[in-house]
Amino acid sequence: MEFKLEAHRIVSISLGKIYNSRVQRGGIKLHKNLLVSLVLRSARQVYLSDPCPGLYLASPAGSPVAPPQQPREPAARPPAGWEEPPSPAARATWQETEPQPERPATPGERRTDGAEPAASVTGTGDALRGGEAEAAEAAWRRVEGPREAEAGEPGGPAGDSDVFPEGPRAARRHCCCAPGREDKPGTPTGSPRVDCCCMSRPAEDEPPAPPPVCPRKRGATGVGGGTAGCPAPGSTPQKKPRRNLEEQPGGGEEEEEMETGNVANLISIFGSSFSGLLRKKSPGGGREEEEGEESRPEAAEPGQICCDKPVLRDMNPWSTAIVAF
Amino acid sequence: MVLQSSKRHYRVWNHRRLGPWCSPTGSPAPLSCETGCGEGSWILVCRLLVPTQVSLLSMEEDIDTRKINNSFLRDHSYATEADIISTVEFNHTGELLATGDKGGRVVIFQREQESKNQIHRRGEYNVYSTFQSHEPEFDYLKSLEIEEKINKIRWLPQQNAAYFLLSTNDKTVKLWKVSERDKRPEGYNLKDEEGRLRDPSTITTLRVPVLRPMDLMVEATPRRVFANAHTYHINSISVNSDYETYMSADDLRINLWNFEITNQSFNIVDIKPANMEELTEVITAAEFHPHHCNTFVYSSSKGTIRLCDMRASALCDRHTKFFEEPEDPSNRSFFSEIISSISDVKFSHSGRYIMTRDYLTVKVWDLNMENRPIETYQVHDYLRSKLCSLYENDCIFDKFECVWNGSDSVIMTGSYNNFFRMFDRNTKRDVTLEASRENSKPRAILKPRKVCVGGKRRKDEISVDSLDFSKKILHTAWHPSENIIAVAATNNLYIFQDKVN
Repeated sequence: MEFKLEAHRIVSISLGKIYNSRVQRGGIKLHKNLLVSLVLRSARQVYLSDPCPGLYLASPAGSPVAPPQQPREPAARPPAGWEEPPSPAARATWQETEPQPERPATPGERRTDGAEPAASVTGTGDALRGGEAEAAEAAWRRVEGPREAEAGEPGGPAGDSDVFPEGPRAARRHCCCAPGREDKPGTPTGSPRVDCCCMSRPAEDEPPAPPPVCPRKRGATGVGGGTAGCPAPGSTPQKKPRRNLEEQPGGGEEEEEMETGNVANLISIFGSSFSGLLRKKSPGGGREEEEGEESRPEAAEPGQICCDKPVLRDMNPWSTAIVAF
Repeated sequence: MVLQSSKRHYRVWNHRRLGPWCSPTGSPAPLSCETGCGEGSWILVCRLLVPTQVSLLSMEEDIDTRKINNSFLRDHSYATEADIISTVEFNHTGELLATGDKGGRVVIFQREQESKNQIHRRGEYNVYSTFQSHEPEFDYLKSLEIEEKINKIRWLPQQNAAYFLLSTNDKTVKLWKVSERDKRPEGYNLKDEEGRLRDPSTITTLRVPVLRPMDLMVEATPRRVFANAHTYHINSISVNSDYETYMSADDLRINLWNFEITNQSFNIVDIKPANMEELTEVITAAEFHPHHCNTFVYSSSKGTIRLCDMRASALCDRHTKFFEEPEDPSNRSFFSEIISSISDVKFSHSGRYIMTRDYLTVKVWDLNMENRPIETYQVHDYLRSKLCSLYENDCIFDKFECVWNGSDSVIMTGSYNNFFRMFDRNTKRDVTLEASRENSKPRAILKPRKVCVGGKRRKDEISVDSLDFSKKILHTAWHPSENIIAVAATNNLYIFQDKVN
């Protein structure tokens, strides 16, 4: 279990480094980013290989296991956040973020509904971080959508708990979509958003945490959405021509850019959580609390929500490995 | 490609007249050869502070003002990030020592000449020339700033009275000519002594200009600019033994240049994958064989070294030899890949061995054996348990260099806390020394340091947790024939000499 936590921490640190590298003087250093991406991969592998207690898969609906209400300072440092098993935190945040995306979620209260029976609910963790985690998980779930669906998701049938399904969506909403969207938490068809693999936050994702509901629901729209690519909100970022970290779907363009597409795809795989780092505008207030990301100023590259091709292309190799972060 | 058009000359007054920069006390110290300390003990020759802009401006001032500025520099350690030394290199005779810094400047030190009346001063290095090699640039097309930091300096062997060196930043390599001028023409007809044009109608006689001695002046001129050949960041340059060509290596490609031709280069190694998503390794360092002009090696971020023969094909993507040591599975961690990335590769002077530096070790490889190194030295294995913290504070990405001594019997590399390590390959002894201001008395003998890893810390030992990771020795150089070493610690350059010498 400790490995998982450490892996989480390392993942978040790594993504922070990748983000910071964009604003460093002298341009993106290919070597360093490659090494960071390798660490990311290692951490993910450990994550996936470390068998976690299957509690994550428990049905969230109707059995709100209130995660320990612990004071979560919004700006908790990453390590702190890792004390607790991501999932409960995540869920809690989902709920928070969903109704009030702008508010730096104070997790505590809202935990109740649908809080997934956390396997080992210990910690506090940072609400936002949790949210991010959720978002990330959501994205991962998206990838896994179909599978989970079969896996007999505990989450309950369609449209069950509004909270959870919203959660990821909300988180995603955070991450990539225009602020405007945030007031519609319950939009079931956040499909555009749904597939945003924008990463709003370093993916501190617990693998299985999010309610299966999520995937399933995503399954409906998600997978479809995935295939459809990221519509509306995505479109805006997609239009952005410049990609620093992100690789053009076509793979290294002729133009000898200094590409770190490898890294970019990793990031896209990690899912929703990253857009906050990449986008110029931070959707809603929640972002400020995110650990580590000090400066969003330069995020000139509006999120490469490269949801379609690059993601799809990578979905196959990665999806098998991804077990729902 | 446009050749540089700058004809600027960087003139530096001869410091030998005005007193050395290097000696903090301002006066020569007695040569303490009496106190024997056994073989292999090192003494501090001098500590050099790269002059900052403040002091450069004051060069025209009188000596007193310069002394004041000197002491200001010395005592207050006034240094900006631009003064951080980023490369150190002796020339082929050891007479000159060049340093490059983050601000794009190159400072060349020259060894004090031996003289009867100043025998004590032998071995000290004084500033010989200073010039701005690279300026920050901005690539408007890609919206990238190009750092002016000097990544590497390599000397060319001396072929005439002038000295030539290559200096490079992330994108551009420049060939500089450093020459002395100690005569100047006087007696022009059309110009007067101040250079003003004379009215031709006032000229009644003609004379032949003559060369008269003047104060020695050292000037540096950029002779060639090799630009626009690298998409990624240049990490190495290496002069070929044919003295006609050299190579520059970036993360994914290596180019071969002819010194005379600046608008084209040959690409001899290209490891860029067609699909960048499949990128798994990058080139981290490259060097030509010291004697065989067709052979070179390059190291990768995966801990492998490839030796290539340019006679085999135009594009040396297929190596001739491949050096890799199987990974020890017991040491596997999240950071195994990072710490196996090679940060420096150096041929031995003999050309028989190569030495590689990764984060925790230095390895010596025999060119004839590819499956494992013949020697492995642990530089600071006590850091192995701290890799996660070092990853967080980015120290794990530090690129340490390594050097051979003139006879290939001792190797040296840097560490943290301003420590640097020497390993004697023959006796298998090693020593840890520190380059610190506390030991900065001239002729002070360096005391070996020790890092305590266990619980009980002896006196004089330093515990791992007390190490200062902001003080790192990344760049060192060893005189080609004598036991004189140059150690760069942030903005300080320490010159040490073997006491036995």
